Formats: sequence, structure tokens, C-alpha cells
Amino acid sequence: MVANNCPSNRLSVRPSFCVRLSLSAELTSDLLTRSAHQFGVLVRIRCTHNFEKHFLCLQLMDSLPFSHLNGDLDHETLVSDVMYELIDDVTLGLCFEVHRACKNGTLFLGDTDPKSQREHELVDRAGVDVFGHVPTKKQFECVCPNCQRNLAASRFAPHLEKCMGMGRNSSRIANRRQAAMAKENESSRMSVLGDDSADDDNDLDWSYHVDRKIKKLKKDKSTHSPRRNKFNRFHKNGDSSSDRSATPEPGLSYEHLSQEERKQILVNTCGVISEHTKKMCAKSQKCHQHTDDQRVKVRQYLLGQSMVVDEDTTIDIDSLDDVDSSQSLRDNLWEGGSNASSPADSTSTNNSTGSKKRNGPKSAKLKKKKSRYGSDPRSSPFDFD
Amino acid sequence: MADDIKRKDAQMRATINQKLVETGERDRLKDLLRTRLIECGWRDQLKQHCKEVVKQKGLEHITVDDLVAEITPKGRALVPDNVKKELLQRIRTFLAQQADN
Repeated sequence: MVANNCPSNRLSVRPSFCVRLSLSAELTSDLLTRSAHQFGVLVRIRCTHNFEKHFLCLQLMDSLPFSHLNGDLDHETLVSDVMYELIDDVTLGLCFEVHRACKNGTLFLGDTDPKSQREHELVDRAGVDVFGHVPTKKQFECVCPNCQRNLAASRFAPHLEKCMGMGRNSSRIANRRQAAMAKENESSRMSVLGDDSADDDNDLDWSYHVDRKIKKLKKDKSTHSPRRNKFNRFHKNGDSSSDRSATPEPGLSYEHLSQEERKQILVNTCGVISEHTKKMCAKSQKCHQHTDDQRVKVRQYLLGQSMVVDEDTTIDIDSLDDVDSSQSLRDNLWEGGSNASSPADSTSTNNSTGSKKRNGPKSAKLKKKKSRYGSDPRSSPFDFD
Repeated sequence: MADDIKRKDAQMRATINQKLVETGERDRLKDLLRTRLIECGWRDQLKQHCKEVVKQKGLEHITVDDLVAEITPKGRALVPDNVKKELLQRIRTFLAQQADN
């Protein structure tokens, strides 16, 4: 094998091959030997003169000890021999492994076929990514599982919020819609059913401006949050049955209220008629502006009956509930639209009608509020014995 | 005389090999070499070469001897210099230690 005009002085290691190299004249045989030893190869140099004097013929031999070499070289030979033995061992291990893989048929298992290899080769052009695509933003389209519309990916999440009715905004919108609808309904008819809008319950979570009539119906849920309790106590009870104009007046005028409505108000609020404004106090039963005496007087005056009312005791209506719950629920359901009271009904059911027994041992105040439904005008301050 | 030297040389080699095995240095060196060769990609290169040889010779008719004959010289050649240097250094150190003892 001949390597003519090699620009570098590198040696290609080929045992027992004669290599002809073109070397610069300065390079001596010693230097050559030393550089050859760097590669752990014993070099035996034979200089022959060919056509030009700077050609050397090198005979590369396997590393074998030679007597004419000095002790250092022997040592080096030894060392490199050891190294080559180790390398050969590792190589042999690999050969065995490859041969085993051949015979097992697993040698070419992990390779891809040349066709796919060519297809998926890395692209290294300018202005294009490794796949060969131009780097533009791809718009992904998705299908809404609810309404089956094609949407852009960036608009998907907000759309889903509205479409499925979850998330803050969608409930606000729904509340507003409900309020508008309910106002319409009420203007057309007097009574409002308590059962036909179960999902209105959810809408009350965030809105304070929902129609008071509906709020009255949803008293169960509405009493859970302290905020709403406060609001309910001060505004809702007083204005419930008659005052739909949502006036922020703290008091109520009682003249145009029906008997049942008055009763309702008196159950839930203080009800004392103020001298100046001739209005009923809309605060709670425990309001400090008026005494119990006053409250008793007002009830006597308005309802024309003598009664013994102890406004401050906490009446345990839970027990009544337990006894009469089924009957009261049935009553409530059947008498959905009517405001007329049936005197045949037991007084105990009146208070518990419609209360859904969700709140266990809560105070009577809350219970009384809860027990009021539009379809239950029978509840009155007299009925908690 | 040459035979004498040769005999001595062979004897010396045998002693060295024995020492290497006894102390466990040979195994350590081999492990080190394996690690280095895998790190530098020598193994993958050589395996690729093996596959080419197998393709050339035919999968059915390949023998271990064939492979060994083809692969061993290539294997020696492909070892990078730094790995060789490191190994040589360690062997020399070991021999020096042995000489001292």
C-alpha cells in the first residue's frame, strides 16, 4: 500500500505493510521512531534510497521485542503490549456479542429501513427547521364537545366556560338573564313557583340584584353565607311580598299589605311602626331600636288578635320538621300557586313548610326565615307553639 | 543468544501478567478501558463496522473467526489517543509500583 505525498507525517498502522511516505528532509529516523511509539507501535525503520532522497520506506511490524533496541523500548513495548491485550479482549467481547446477535436475528432489529431513513433525515437548510418546516405559527382547531363547533385553540377555553356554564362570567350572565326573565314573569302573574327553577339556586351565588321574589324562594341557600344573611335580614324580609320596586327604604308601609303579607313580615322582622314615617321597622326581631313590648303591640294592632309572643326565645322548629316534614313538603308542592290559607292545616306545618331541613340545629331566627315560601302564606307569628 | 533474550522476555511478560491478575489490576484496567471506549463512541463505531462486515459476508455465513479477523485490527486503530495515553500511564505506574516492591 502506497501513500504518496502525504502532507502530514501521520502513520497509518498496518501491521506488516510497507508504507512509502513523503517526509521532510529534517525528519530523522529517531524522531520517526519516537512519534511512532506514541501510538504504541514499534517501528522498524529501513531507509532505502529511491528516486528521491527524502523517501523513506517504513516497515511497520507488530510489536515484538527486538534485541537491538534498548531497555527503555523494551519497557515501553511491554507496557503497550499489555495495553493491546486489554484492547483485544474488549474487541473480542464485542465480536462475540455481534455474532450472537447475528445468529439470533437481532443484529439489524433496531435499524430503520433505508427509505424511512432518507425521508426523515435531518434538514440543515437556512430558514427552515430540522423537519423542513417553515417556522410559522400553526393555528390549531378544536371541536367543542358541547356544541360541536370548530374553534380556534386560543379561543377554546373562554368559549368552553360560557358554553358549559362554568366559571365566573358565565354565572353572572346567567344571573342577569334570570333576573330579566323573572321580572317578566312576575309582571305577568302574581305568584311565583318555588320548584320550577332549581338552577336559579346556583345563580344567586354572586348577584345581589336578583329579584326579591326569587330570593325569597331561595331562602334555603341564601342563608348560608353571612354576607347574604345580613343583606337578607335587612332588605329582603321587609320588602318581600309587596315591595318589588327594590326601594332601599329601611321601613315598610303596611297599609296596602294583605293580612297574610303582614303576618309574614311580622314573623321575620321587628315590624314596629315608626311614629315619624308610619312604616314598619325592617330590622331583625332583635333590633335594639324597639322593645319587645312595642313589637307585641304592633302585632296586636295589625293582626287584631291577642297573642302571647315571646320574640326572643329560640323556638326549636327542628322537632316540628321531623314530625311533619313529609306532610309539609307535600303541602307545599300541592299548593304551589295559591296564596289562600287553608285553615284546616295544622299550625305546626306552616312554619316548617318548605324548609328543606338542610341546616340542622340552627337558630329559630334563621329557621323562620327559611320556612317562608311564596306558597306558604299561612306562616304567622302566632304559629310557633 | 537471541533465543535467550526472547526467553527472558517471555518470562518477564509472564511474571507481569501474573502480577496483574493477582492484584486485580488487570480487571480494573479492563473496566476502565471499557468505560472509556464506550464514552468516546468507539464501541458504536466498531459495531457499525461489524454490521457492514456481516452485510458483506452474508448473515448466514458469518463466523466468529471472520469477525475477529476483520474487527481486531480495526479496533486497535480506532482507539483514540487520550484513552491509550491514560491506559499506558496506569500500566507504567503499576509496573513501577511492582518494581519498588
